[in-house]
Parts: sequence; structure tokens; C-alpha cells
Amino acid sequence: MVSQIDQMRKGTTTVAILKLLVDEEEPLHGYEIIRRLDARGEGYFRFKEGLVYPRLHRMERDGLLESRWVGAPGTRRRKMYAVTERGRHQLEVEMERWQTFSRQMDQLLGLEGA
Amino acid sequence: MSAGQALDPSLGPSPERGGEPRVDRVLEQVRAQLDLDAETEYELLAELRGHLEDAVAAARARGLDEEAALAEAAARFGVDEVGRELQAAHVGWGTADGVVAAGMPVLCALILRWLVFAPDGTAVGWREVLVRPAFWAVALAALLVPLLRFPRWRYALISWAFFWVMSVIFFALPAVRW
Repeated sequence: MVSQIDQMRKGTTTVAILKLLVDEEEPLHGYEIIRRLDARGEGYFRFKEGLVYPRLHRMERDGLLESRWVGAPGTRRRKMYAVTERGRHQLEVEMERWQTFSRQMDQLLGLEGA
Repeated sequence: MSAGQALDPSLGPSPERGGEPRVDRVLEQVRAQLDLDAETEYELLAELRGHLEDAVAAARARGLDEEAALAEAAARFGVDEVGRELQAAHVGWGTADGVVAAGMPVLCALILRWLVFAPDGTAVGWREVLVRPAFWAVALAALLVPLLRFPRWRYALISWAFFWVMSVIFFALPAVRW
């Protein structure tokens, strides 16, 4: 059975990836994205690492990310991801939504000022 | 590595394979869940290979032996789920590109037909279209849409080649009834 935390994480992975890439201000490959997300979440949001890749690919298809392969043929090559303008705009929208949701939940649960 | 463990070249490029032969077995499990075009699978597996090799190297740096490092990397990776999710994420992409790649030249050709041909079916006067803005709009669309739409250059090149071959034929043989 999928836990509530898993459900919440799935719903927030896109915004977490966008925020990370915007904050880091440099293109990152998948492994590094996972490593830094894990560090930011202090291990709380740990998930199957490979599941980040389908998400990255969907975000790229949706125009939120762009990617390029780095490294010469015959050497280890990396697919690096960066945020597009559309991705930055989407992040702003999602952050606003999240803040509203969070504020309303706090109010609902009586956690305001806690 | 024995001959029996010969690596499948379609599992993506790895200059460091000699040190990570077991990564191929994990990738093989992922690939078993995929049913995509060869180029897409190659790119996906190349990307996943980089991840697994990094994960194994990190685990070994923490003191695990190779077998344990790979087992840990594979467990954290989630092989079966990843294969299914990748398949779901990518299925249909190639088809959509193919439909656009096939439709784009046909659309351009129809517009060219409207721009170029005289009522009698000849392309006499073809040179006049060079001063028409509509021609350059079509030409720009034929150049830019494939470039922006297709992640793979071969589709863009097919569209470009079709459009320009049509243009050259009309230019060279304007009096022929098409």
C-alpha cells in the first residue's frame, strides 16, 4: 500500500526538482539531482532513485526542463538537465499554490504560530 | 570477464565497463520492461548506466565490496518500477514524432502546390514565388518547425530534404505538368 508520505512526495517531486535546479544555477545530471534532493530533505523523502528519471523525462517533454549530453563519445557521457523559462514560471505558480495550501492546512489543523 | 559474460552493446555506451560488468545485468532487467524504439532505449540505458555506476562507486567508497555495492545500488534504484515508469513515460513519443514528420512535408507540399502551380498544372512562373512573403513563411516553417519540434535530427533532415527537393524539382522543371 502506498503511504500518505509517498503520495505527497509524488505530488511534489516536480516542484522539488524545479526548485533545486533554479537554486543551484547550473545544469545537473540525474544522479546529482537525486543526491542533492536527498541532502535537502535530510533523507525524509527518500524514494526509489530510478523513479526520478521518468519524471525528468516527462518534465522535459512538457518543456519545463531542457537537457544536453555532455562528454565526448567514447568517454562517460552525462545527460545534464536545466530549467527552462517555462519551468521557472511553473515553479513560481507551484510555490504560490504550495504556500496557500500550507497556510490553509496550518489553519485547519490549528498549527498557526506553532 | 568471461566470454559467456560478453556485454550487449545495445545496453548503452560505457568506457568503464570493464570495472562494472554487473551493472549490465541490472540494465538488462530494466530493458526487459521496455518496448521502445532502439534509439530511445539506447539513450535511456546510457543515462541509467551513469547513475548506477555512480551509485556503485559511492557505495564502494563507503567500504562495501562490489557485490554488496551493486545490490545496494539496484535496491535503491527500484529496477522493476523504473522500467515500467519509463515505458509509460516514453510510449507514443516516437509515434507522435513520426506522424508530425510524415505530415509536415505533406502540408508544406500542399502549400507549395497552392503557391507554385498555374491552373494548367505547370510550375511556370515559379520564380515569382521567391518574392512572395507566403513562400518565405512556408520555407521558414519547414526549416524551423522540425528543428524545434523533433529531438532527433533525422526527422528534421527528412522534412528539410523533402521540402527542398520539391523546390529544386519545380525550379528545374517548371514546364512539366505535375
